[in-house]
Formats: sequence, C-alpha cells, structure tokens
Amino acid sequence: MNDFTLVLKNLFRKKLRAILLLFSILSAFLIFGALGSFYKVFTAGVEVAAADRLITVNKINFTVSLPLAYVNRVRSIEGVRNASHASWFGGYYQDPRKQVQTFAIEADTYLAAYSELVMPDEQRKAFMETRDCLLTGIDLVDQYGWKLGDSVPINSNIWQKKDGSSVWEFTICAIFDGDKETVPANYLMFHYDYFNENLAFARDKAGWIILNSEDPAMNDDISKQIDTLFANSQAETKTSTESAFNKAFLQQMGNIGLILSSVIGAAFATILMIVGTTMVMAVSERTKEIAVMKTLGFRTGRIFRLVLSESLLLALLGGLIGLGIAWALVDLAIGPALSGFLPGMRLTADIALLAIVLMLALGLITGILPALKAMNVAIVDALGKN
Amino acid sequence: MFKQIAALTKLNLRSIPQRWGMSLATVFSVALVVLVLMAFLAMANGFKATLSGSGSTDVAVMLRKGAQAELNSGISLAQLRLIREAPGIARNADGNTIVSGELYVIVDGLKRTTLTDVNLPLRGVEPDALVLRQGLKIVEGHMFGSGSNELIVGQAILREFAGFDLGSEVRLGTATWKVVGVFSTGGTVFESEIWADAGSIQSLYQRGSGYQSVRAKLDGADGLKALQDWAENEPTLNLDIITEKEFFSGQASGITNIILYMGWPLAIVMAFGALAGAWNTMYASVEARTREIATLRAIGFAGFAAFVSTLVEALLLAFVGGLVGSVLAWLIFNGISASTLGGNFTQVVFAFEVTGEAVQSGIVMALIIGLLGGIIPSIRAARVPLLSVHGG
Amino acid sequence: MSKTEPLYVLRGLSKQYSRGKETIPIFDGLDMEIANGEFMAIMGPSGSGKTTLLNQLGGIDAPTTGEVIFDGRRIDNLGQGALAKWRSENVGFIFQFYNLMPTLTAAQNVELPLLLSPVKGAERKKRVATALDIVGIGDRAKHYPRQLSGGQQQRVAIARAIVADPKVLLCDEPTGDLDRTSADEVLEMLQLLNTKMGKTIIMVTHDPAAAKYAKTELFLDKGKFIKKGSKK
Repeated sequence: MNDFTLVLKNLFRKKLRAILLLFSILSAFLIFGALGSFYKVFTAGVEVAAADRLITVNKINFTVSLPLAYVNRVRSIEGVRNASHASWFGGYYQDPRKQVQTFAIEADTYLAAYSELVMPDEQRKAFMETRDCLLTGIDLVDQYGWKLGDSVPINSNIWQKKDGSSVWEFTICAIFDGDKETVPANYLMFHYDYFNENLAFARDKAGWIILNSEDPAMNDDISKQIDTLFANSQAETKTSTESAFNKAFLQQMGNIGLILSSVIGAAFATILMIVGTTMVMAVSERTKEIAVMKTLGFRTGRIFRLVLSESLLLALLGGLIGLGIAWALVDLAIGPALSGFLPGMRLTADIALLAIVLMLALGLITGILPALKAMNVAIVDALGKN
Repeated sequence: MFKQIAALTKLNLRSIPQRWGMSLATVFSVALVVLVLMAFLAMANGFKATLSGSGSTDVAVMLRKGAQAELNSGISLAQLRLIREAPGIARNADGNTIVSGELYVIVDGLKRTTLTDVNLPLRGVEPDALVLRQGLKIVEGHMFGSGSNELIVGQAILREFAGFDLGSEVRLGTATWKVVGVFSTGGTVFESEIWADAGSIQSLYQRGSGYQSVRAKLDGADGLKALQDWAENEPTLNLDIITEKEFFSGQASGITNIILYMGWPLAIVMAFGALAGAWNTMYASVEARTREIATLRAIGFAGFAAFVSTLVEALLLAFVGGLVGSVLAWLIFNGISASTLGGNFTQVVFAFEVTGEAVQSGIVMALIIGLLGGIIPSIRAARVPLLSVHGG
Repeated sequence: MSKTEPLYVLRGLSKQYSRGKETIPIFDGLDMEIANGEFMAIMGPSGSGKTTLLNQLGGIDAPTTGEVIFDGRRIDNLGQGALAKWRSENVGFIFQFYNLMPTLTAAQNVELPLLLSPVKGAERKKRVATALDIVGIGDRAKHYPRQLSGGQQQRVAIARAIVADPKVLLCDEPTGDLDRTSADEVLEMLQLLNTKMGKTIIMVTHDPAAAKYAKTELFLDKGKFIKKGSKK
C-alpha cells in the first residue's frame, strides 16, 4: 500500500458516484476531441498554406475571372519566382448534387507552386504528356473506386464544350496525394489547354493566379506591385497570401471558431460545476477520517496532496477515456465519412496534448477547494463529532 | 396515496437548500445543455425560415440542366425569347408574359462584424423582377434607371455589410456604380442581394447577351406542368424548371441539416454529462434523507410515495434547468442577425429564431435528463430499509 | 532516557475555550507527571476535561498556557508539521468508535501509520502481520471494517496504534462502545501491552470496571484531580 492506494480507494469509495463523475467528464472530453479535430481540419487550409504562396484574384470577387494575359505580366514582376493559374470547373461525377472540386490548371507551374502534392515520377510524366489526363486526388480514387487508366466523364455545371455538351471526357493517368495528412487530396486537376481549346465561350481567362515569391519578406511588396499594375484596367486585382485568402474564405461561413469554442466552453462549465460540487461533498463526508489521519501524524501538506491527486486522477481517467472515444469516433467513423469534403480529419497529437492540459486544469480547479478544506480540518472538532 | 405523495414531496423540496450546491449545479448543467441545443435550433430555424420564406409557389425558376445554382447556370438570349412565348406563364394587363431574365454574379463586400471580405450576390434583373417578388418595396431612395450603372441594395446587406450604403459609389471593373435605393422584401433572402439592371451587368461581366436564370409567373396551378411539358419538347432548351419555393427549400436543406446534425449529437452528449450530474445529486438527496424516509415509512408512509417524491424533485430541478436554458437562449440568441455562405456561394443574412417548438424540444430534453437521472435514486428511496430509522 | 525520569511532565497547564464572548476554562494551572511504563486511567464526569487533557498529551490540541514536556522535550510549542511527525513516531491513538478507514482492509488500516515511517516492503508486511497477531486477529487481515464486530474493529485499531512502535498509547473511552466480554478482552490486551511490551498507556474512561485494569486511577473534576489511587 502507498499513497496512490489511498487516493484510489477514496476515489472509488462510492463506485457509482465515481463512475457517474467519470461519465460526465468523459462527455466533455469527447466533445472537445471531436470538435477540436473538426476545427483543426476545417482550418487546415490556413495551416498548410505555404508562406511564399500568394493568390491574385479579381478585385470584384474571386469568382470573377482574369484575362489570361495577366499571368505572364505577373511573372515578369521582380521577386516572383513562379506563377501559375487555375480555373474553377464546377465538376460533378454522375450526380449533379455531389460536386467534385475540379480545376483546370497550367500544369508544370502549378505543380511547382504546390510542391506538397506528390505522385510517382512516371505518373507525373504521364500527366505532363497526356492532353486529356485527369490528375486525380487519392481520396477520390478511393471514394469512386477509380483506377489508373480509367476513362472518366466529368460533367461541368458551368462550362460547355463547343459541341454544346457539358460532359468532358478524361483519362486518369496520374494520382496525387499530399505529403502530409492535412494536405487535401480530394480534388481533380487537368490541363488548362485542353479546357481552353474546347470551351464554347469565355476562352482565354484565368480563374485566379497563384504565385511564389522568392522570399516571404517580399510578399507585401509583390502584392502591392501586382495590384498597382492592374489598377484602372478592365479587371482590377487583389493579391493576398494564400493563408490570408483561405482564412477570409473560412470566415465567410460565419464565426465557426466562436461557435465551437462556445460549445466546448458550455460542456466544460457543466462538468466543472458537477465535479466541483461533488468533490466538495465527497471530502466533507470524510472529515472525520481526515482528522484521524492527521492524528496518526499525516501532515497537512500530504493530506492536501492526497485530495488533490484524487480529483486529478478523476479528471485524467475520465478525460482519457473521453479522448479515447473521441479518437475512435473521429479516426474510425467521422473522419472516413467526411473524407469527401474534409479530408484528413484526425485526432492529432496536439489536440490530445491540449486535452491533457485541460484535464490537469480541471483536476486542479475541482480539487483545490476540497483539498484546502481537507487540509484545514481541525482534529479536535472533527473527532468531537462522535 | 396522493396525500402521502404531496406531503413527502413538500418535505423533500424543503430539504433542497441543504444541498444547494449540487442542486444548483444540476439546474445549471441542464440549463447549459438546453442552451446549446437551442442555439443550434435557433440557428437552423432562422436560416430555414429565411430561405423557405423566400420562395413563392407561383413563380417558376429555370436553370440550365444540372446547374443546381443560379451562379453556374447559363441561358442564352435566344432561349429567353423562346421562354417568353411559352405556355403556362401568366400574362400582365398588356398581354405580355411575366418573365424576368436574370444574371447572378458575385461581388466583394466587407462584413461589418469581422471586417473581412465576403461574397455578396449582385443580381441583374429585368423590370418584371419587381412583380415576381411579392412584397418588394423601395424603402429609401429610388429604383435604378434602365441601362444605368445604378444599384439598389437589400436591407440586410445594409445592416450586415459595409461598402454599399445609400449614395455611396462602388467601383466594379472599370465603371463606377452608384447605390441609389434600398429595398425590403419582408425578411426573405432577396434582402441579402444587390440589384442592378440586367443589361448593365451583362456588359460589366462581358456576358454578351446571355442570362443565367429565368423567373416566370405561373398561370394557375397547372402552369408549372404545362411549362415543364413544353420545355421538354423544345430541342433548343435544356432546362431544369421548378417552383421558386422548391428551389429555395433545396438550398436551405443542406446547411440546415449540417447545423442540426452538429447540434443534436452535441446536445445529446452534453446531456449524458448532465444526466450523470443529476443522478449524483439525487443519490446525495436520498442519502441525506435516508433516516427521514425510514422514519416516515416506519410511521406508515408507502415506499411508492418516497419514490414519487424523489422523482418529482429530480424532474423539478431538470425542469427549472430547462426553463433557465430556454430563457437564456431567448435572451441571448433570439433575433440576432448572422450571415453565412449559402447554397449560391454568397452570404445569406438570417436572424436566429428561438421558436416555441425549439423551447418544447429543450424542455423535453431537460425532463428526460431529470427522469433518467432521478429514476434509480427514486427506486432506492422507495427501498430504504426501515432499520435506517436508527441512523448510521 | 533513564527509568526514573517521567515520560510526561505537565507544568501549569491551562486550557480555556471561548464561545462567543464567554470564556470557558477547562483546567487552570494543572501540574502532573506521568512515569514511563505507567498504565493510567483518567476518570471523571462529562465535561471534566478528560478528553481535553488527552488531546494535550497527544499533541492534537495546544494548551492556552503552560508546558507539555514529553521525554524531556517540550511539545506544546511545536509547529503543526513537527507535531505530526512527533505523533507518528511516539504516540498511538485508540478511539471509542475505532475510527478505522472504511475503504481499507484491516491490514491496510494497520499499515497506514507505516506510510509515515521509513519502513518499506517485506519489513512493513512483517510488522503489520505481527501487530495483527499480537491483537489476535491475524486471520481477519483481508476483512473490511464493516465485516468485523466492534471488538474486532477495536483490536484492529490497537494494532494500528502499536504498529509503529510508539512509546505511549492514548486511549479515549476504548471500551465505550463494546459489550462487557469484548471490553474485557480489549482491556486485557492493553494490560498485556503495558506489562509485556512496556508501553505507557493513558486511558480516559467512564467505566470503573475498565479503570480497574490500570495501575493508577485518577479522578478529574472541573479541571482538578480530586483523588488519586494506586494499586501497586
């Protein structure tokens, strides 16, 4: 027997009560784990954004295209290492209600800009050399059961071909993945040239321009230069870093961060109250036992630590179980289910770490009052209550 | 029996102050669960009400097949001319069909609360558009002039976003536009839009003579069918035709479902946490009253009365929690204006709506927490051994 | 420590409680000595100050004025921490209601004081087993207090009191909650601990029959000793 035995015995003195408390703590950490993972993957676009990557869009709105000629003019600006462009295709596969993100890109410069997109060398070569190649994200390959060499018709809900059809035929000749799990690989890309030549209308437009600066320190300067260059032209531009662009887009959804943190806050407020009051009660129930221990010679500091350890243990046990369930839920159920539009949803180490910090905080906060109370038990008074 | 229950319940409730800490924790934890649930419901209801209130059953929306949203769609002038002569469409006093060819493009605005760029819809409309939106009123300024670079903006735009105040000038492309009027449509989604003359938008966006969607007033209940059948047999048309009501409910369902799919599970998981708290509190209550219950039973009170009185305590605590949560939700959320990216890739402004139905759901959830949390402690109360009269 | 020196010396011991504005004196200027190896019964009516005196001897309550000297060392002016350490090394307590930890087995209850000592591992187990054997309930080591009778519980409490090998046992109405047979068994055990193991025992009791087991009987009334009887 040691102090830990005492802590454990005290915690589970009333088994049902302990289990109920664990259950309630578990619920809060389950919510934390699940929402934390969701928020993390939701904002992944901001995190995976490269520091040297800038996006130039039409000042009216990013859905309005730019003249293709702008790309070369951006390229000539000092400090621009690489420039590419992409256009939104509005693609879907068979079911018009299920959009598949599809982009028409200038291939070599685009892949140079997004170095985190990886694929085997021979596939990269095949993509570069095949006109109608569909560079397919690995998540979509899994989702639709496609394989290399498949012919895949992708409909566009925007663009028609010269023949009036909206069905574009492609061959899957390369499959890409992200070099990290947070890098999305749930979209399709194909050659801009193939797109532009077959377009029935609105040819020679670039949806937006992506460029890499030679040094992130030059980002502000380059942005200003580009936007000044096209000021007062027929299409004015707005240039920002990729991360600022992604962040602004997420904010359009509303303040998701505030909503999620409010829910987590409410869940924690609940368990703080429940666990806090129960621990106070649990300790006052055994005032006399604490007095006896003091009589035996247990010092106040040790009594304090014993009680505090009890609430810490409770918080850690409940929290870890909750985190475990959250992990199972996120990594094994929700994550795979949402892989279509939020790829790579996982309960990551930093979320787990933050959860553990919260467990410790919960344990300390709910334990401090009972621990002080236990520490201050007066032997004579307590033993007098026979 | 009823007298017994009443007597014990009264005794029971009087003893709550002795356990005020835990009882209060129970009330507030239930209140928080209800608050969270109501927040999501108010959000979903508000969003849904805005969109579903927007659509009319006697207006048809026509988009290119598969386009799903006005933004993606494209309709040529030739197609629009054909549609103007289609059957099933109502005619005005002059004998012309009521049809508006419209464009739907996106411009940047600045959200007032976050000062970030957002997508706002700029709709190019023809004169019949005013007839096709019931209840549309210019509340300030005047209508845009035909062919002019003038804009009118919905009230919600004015409220939520900066940059489109009455009288202000807006630079889009090479031209400068002027906001000349503010319109209201009684809280529908159109209030989140900016309108201009269709022709002006065509030239600004180099759309030539093309449109993106067509709205038409249907001629009676059979109008839609007649229109659809006709369009089916026109080889040059390739359209999806549905009522405006259907169109907007389709757009509402996606986001409403996401909100509900998040809100309910979260509230339920939280409810389990609160349930554990309620259970604990009721156990403490029964434990504190063990001697009292045993004494009363020794006198002759029935175990069932002890059961009911304990359950009533649990239900009461939960009910108060539910009420507190509902009132808080109403005070905090009801009517607050918010906006999110809607189905058309643009901001939809809506107001949170704490409905009676949502309050009902909240209270029911609270009572379920009280019932499940109280039932086992109540059974225990009914089974208190008579020997406990001696204490210990 | 020589045999002739007393274990306890109390000098001018006063204790008063304040209840609101009123001050209630328990005893005033008490002097006494307790010899090493003594078995003393302190008797007296309720409120006579018996338990308060025992609390002073055990260092769980400090006198208002005066000195408590144990084994040549003043303990009344020690800090809380030092007192706790002193108690764990020198005093064993036995209470009327046993005061065992309900969550611990008999053996674990006995082991509790050893958490405060450097005794570890096998030695600790041996000490616990020996203590339980001495009080005659080695076979109940795995039982929880609620599974034991009052007499058995008090034996566990005695085992707990002696396991750390203290010099003195302080007993507060140790038989107050026991039937006659159990009470006699417990008292015989205390007597044995006094004679065979040399433990100094100070016992507060109401019960004249219990007091008969002691070497010395003291009668306390209104904070003063009124009669002192010694049998041997």
